[in-house]
This record gives sequence, structure tokens and C-alpha cells, in this order.
Amino acid sequence: MKADTNQFPELDKTKFEQRGTEFKLGIPITNAVTVGNSIAVGFGDGTVRIFTSGESSEPIKAHKGIVLCMSKDGDNILTGGDDGRFLNISLDGKINEIGNFGTRWVDHVTANNGSLVCSSGNIVYLWSPNHKEPKLFEHNSTIGGIAFDAKGRRLAVSRYGGVTLWKKDYSNKWNSSELNWKGSHNKVIFSPDGKYLVTSMQENQLHFWRLKDKIDSAMSGYGAKIKSFAFVDDSKYLATSGAKEAVCWPFDGDGPVGREPICLPYVGNKLVTFVEPFPNENAILTGLSDGSVFLSEIEKASNTIIIRSFTEFEVSAIAVTKDCSHLLIGDMGGNILWTSIWDEEKK
Amino acid sequence: MEETNKQVPVTVLTGFLGAGKTTLLNRILTEQHGKKYAVIVNEFGEQGIDNDLVVDADEEVFEMNNGCICCTVRGDLIRILSGLMKRADKLDAIIVETTGLADPAPVAQTFFVDQDVADRTKLDAIVTVADAVHLSTQLTDHHEAEEQIAFADVVLLNKIDLVDEGGLEVVKERIKKINPFAKVINTTKCGVSLNEILNLDAFSLKRVLDVEPDFLTSDHDHEHDDDVTSLSFVSDTPLDMEKFQDWFSKLLQTKGQDILRTKGILDFTGESDRYVFQGVHMLMDASPMGKWPEGKERSSRLVFIGRNLESMNLKEGFENCKSA
Repeated sequence: MKADTNQFPELDKTKFEQRGTEFKLGIPITNAVTVGNSIAVGFGDGTVRIFTSGESSEPIKAHKGIVLCMSKDGDNILTGGDDGRFLNISLDGKINEIGNFGTRWVDHVTANNGSLVCSSGNIVYLWSPNHKEPKLFEHNSTIGGIAFDAKGRRLAVSRYGGVTLWKKDYSNKWNSSELNWKGSHNKVIFSPDGKYLVTSMQENQLHFWRLKDKIDSAMSGYGAKIKSFAFVDDSKYLATSGAKEAVCWPFDGDGPVGREPICLPYVGNKLVTFVEPFPNENAILTGLSDGSVFLSEIEKASNTIIIRSFTEFEVSAIAVTKDCSHLLIGDMGGNILWTSIWDEEKK
Repeated sequence: MEETNKQVPVTVLTGFLGAGKTTLLNRILTEQHGKKYAVIVNEFGEQGIDNDLVVDADEEVFEMNNGCICCTVRGDLIRILSGLMKRADKLDAIIVETTGLADPAPVAQTFFVDQDVADRTKLDAIVTVADAVHLSTQLTDHHEAEEQIAFADVVLLNKIDLVDEGGLEVVKERIKKINPFAKVINTTKCGVSLNEILNLDAFSLKRVLDVEPDFLTSDHDHEHDDDVTSLSFVSDTPLDMEKFQDWFSKLLQTKGQDILRTKGILDFTGESDRYVFQGVHMLMDASPMGKWPEGKERSSRLVFIGRNLESMNLKEGFENCKSA
């Protein structure tokens, strides 16, 4: 095997690589989002491509330089870019500009039930359905991440010094409360059951708050910054990158305080850079810094299978189609693998 | 070595408002044909910047939550540099313009502290544009001006056509007293050859080997304790590694806020390699840097730039590290 050829040596191909479709596009992949049985992929040249049934659409020229962030809005996708534009793009490539912030990047985008949200600098902009003008939520520092809870009544905004939690009351008025913890907070997510809020920090650690009583705690011990983390199997585990193992913290019962995480090891001893929950299962897809991707059952690490062998480029995107039949893997070298997940789908 | 080639050099442009940063920036951008630069700006002023890739930033200084009080980083730079590294086209260089009142330390520390930034980019040099007419007053009135000189690898002394010869000498003396290691270039309208300010690799440990301590600077006639000065030491007697590490780590821990920059080449007893380090406040890069050149005397050289250096018993501390 040669690490410097940027080729997948035929003999070392996994069965998924053999039956899947590979695209060597050479453009860094920044994001991937599932929209039904299609997967939208954002690139480091500002384009978006839609992958359906192993075919790629023509590149959609969305942003000038980089697709910084992506999310889903119903059957469409939302993107934010380094050209300061916040876009809504349909799967057939129609672009609708929602906002334009000029030289200020659109760092984060999200949506819930037709409400569209982005952040640029220290301001969160929220477009309610059928409203032309956004509502502005200002914060004391640049925003590190935004997330809606499942019902769309709470919007978490991470920032320097903690998280601002915006709550919509029954007269549709948004009120804020602060969850403070020293340091700079980046990505933020709610647990699917709405009980917890988790952030990754500039330091190599995560922080969580239990929302009913505001108790909070750090999850530390990582060797690198945690770029990717997600809840698995409803809210039973929080799977995290940033170590040479996929570190899965238990969030059932009373949460992770005083409990040990499950650590899933992988051959090659490389850094985990991406984790993606496998829908409706107690399992995760784990991407490593060398481009390899594995599927593991959290409670049975011996049930780990290799999906993609190494490419030498860090895995930066993994997405599974809504019907759980196919998955897409992307890396920073611009390599994409689209493959069916189950044997019987082999044509 | 391959890793180094992938790192995009970052030049930091500091200097007070009106010193000529924008003039210099536009000069760089118009003269370097065929190169792709990203420019990160903070003052979106009247003068336009002539480049496709201008990023607007908010000089946000973050304290790291790691118990180290002077460990501050530029949060906006981490975000923007990490974003720029996802671009499909490769950048030849990144230029960060800071506001006139910015302390350069958090910018420099960002490259020590954030792993993603350190993996993909490298701090090339801090270039300070100074106004020959106003620098003396600015140095007296604003500690930021002193810091910008203290951190500089290159000082572009601009608008020299507007001062007389005597005035110019006074300003240069003042710069040398704060930072005798910076290269001072006299200019009018920032007319300077680009290879004097770009791709200097000033923060690499290799460049520390070029440092020649300046013995004339260890004087005691400065006006306040707050003044930034420099001190340097040389020893032909080899140092004891354990003693040195003990003294130096305690020194940085307790006085790191006042010590702005340090550089050194060390000759340890029983070691065949030269040890080289350079630091910003409490953060340090250090490594063995090959064998001592044959036929040349081995000696240890140590340089400090900072405030209140007189109170730190540096000479005594250094002397105590000599092998018995």
C-alpha cells in the first residue's frame, strides 16, 4: 500500500468501495446534508452538488469561495458562505438568497418548521415563515454555533463564555437566559429528548448542561479539538471525535456524571475526525484523519466493520439517506464514496 | 519537512492608525503579480483594499480556559484561518492587519495554542509600520505602541521625509532600546522591497540561530519601570540542563506577563546538539537544532524583551545555571 498515491489500491478495496461509486473531485468537502434519499454536499470552492442513486448533479455555484455551513429546510438545503450570503437551494439547483452580509461570513445556518436562522458575526438572524425581515438576536461575541431543539421553541447560541438559550413563549416572544462557562464555545447541540445541551470548546473538551436543573460539567481528556459530535440512539449516547477512539458518553438515566465513556478503538491509531449516528440504531459511522471510515455498534465494539479504506485525507462529511439504504463519505482531499449499505442492494 | 511546505505563511501587520498600514497592504497586493493572498482586516476604513479576498474580522481576544492567565488568543483568527484552509485554491500567503491599538501577543499566541491553525499555517513575521513623526509620542502615551515595537521582526519606519535627521536618530534609538533585534527599514510611503517583509520565517527556530545579542542595550537609564526594554546574556561556560529548565520554567510561570518575547541558543553540558527556543509570554517552542558548527566556540545566548526585567534577577538566575 502506498499512502502518497491518492489512489484506492484495487486489492485493498472494501466491499463497500467495490460496489459503490467513487468520485475524485479534488475539492475539499466541507459539509454533507441528507435531504430524503439525496445527499447534498458542500465544497471548498463554493459549489454544492446533489448526489442521488450514485449520480452527482452538475455543481451548483452557490458561494464565491467556501460553503462554510449547511443545513436542511424541508426538501431544500440552506447554506452559508464566505461571501456573506445565506442561501436556500432546491434539489434541482434553484438558488434563493435569504440574506447577504457582505464581507462578514455566514458561519452557521439552521432551520425548524419553516423558520430559517443564520449567524454572522455576533448576530443571529431569524426569518419566521412568511416574514420578509429577520428578527435579530445580538450576542456579546462572535457566535460559535446555533441549534434548535426538536420542537423549535428553544434556540441555543454558543459564544465566548457559554451559551445563550432563547425560548419562545406562547405569545411567540423570544426571551433569553444565559448558561455560563469560562472559555470559548463552538458547536452546540440539543439532545434529541431535549434534556441536555452540549458544546465543544476551544480547549480539547466538551461541556454539557442538564436543562431541568442547570447542572453542568466538562467532558475532557481529548488529545485534539472536538470538531464532530452527535447523539446516538435517541439520546442514549453522545459520540465524539477528537481522540484516537470514538468516545461515547452515556446520557441515559442521570447522565454522564461519574460514569465512564465507552471508547471504540480503530486499527491504524489515527485521530477520529467525524462521527455520524447510524439512524435508529445504537451504532455510529466513524471517520478518521487518514480517510478510513468504520461502522461500529457502541455496546459491542467487536461488531465493527470497515466501510472505506484510507485515502490519506481527513474525513469531513458522512451522511446516510433517509431510507437508510445508502451512505456518502467525503474528505478534505475531495474524494467521495457513495455506496449501498446492505448486500441485497447489490446490483 | 513536507508538513512545513503545506503551511501557509501568515504575516501580521501592526502599527498605529495613520502610520501607513493600508498603503503597505495595497503595495503588497499590487506588486505581487500572480500570487493569491487573503487579507484579514479589522479597520474597514475609508481607504479601500485592492484584493479579491478581504475578510472582515472582529479582533476578539479569548482567554484560554487552561489556568494560564496571560494565555490569550484571537478567536476570530482561529475561525477565519480554519475556514480559509478549506478553500479549494491554495493561498500563497495570508496577511492579518490589526487595529492600531492591538496587542500583538494574542495574535502570536494563536499560532502556538490552536492545533488546527498551527498544522495548516505558520506565523511568518510581525511587521510593524511606525510613523517617524509621531512614534515617540505614541510610545509615551500608549503601551500598545511599545508592544507593537517589542514584538516586531521588522519595523518599517515610515514618513522619514517628514522628520529631520536628528529627529530620525532619536526615534531609531527609541526603537532599538525596546527591541534591538528588529530590523528597522526607513521608508517614505512604505516603499520597501517585498522580500524584506514577506516570507521571512522569523518565528522558525532556525532563525533564532541568527540572533546576535546586543550588549549595548543592557542599560539602566529608562524613565519608568513600565518601559519595554531588552536584556541579553552570553555564557561560554556550558549550562546545566536541569538547572536551566527549573529556573526558566519558574520564571515564565511567574513573570510571563511581563516577558514579551524570549529567544535563546543553549549549550548544555554533555549534549552535542544546540538547543534553540523562542517564546511569546509563557508559551514556548523549543528543539535541538543540530550539532554545533565545527571549529566554532560553543556558547549560550539568551535574549529577553519585556517590562520590569530589572526586577527579575535575570543575570543571577542565568549565572546559577552554569555547570559547576
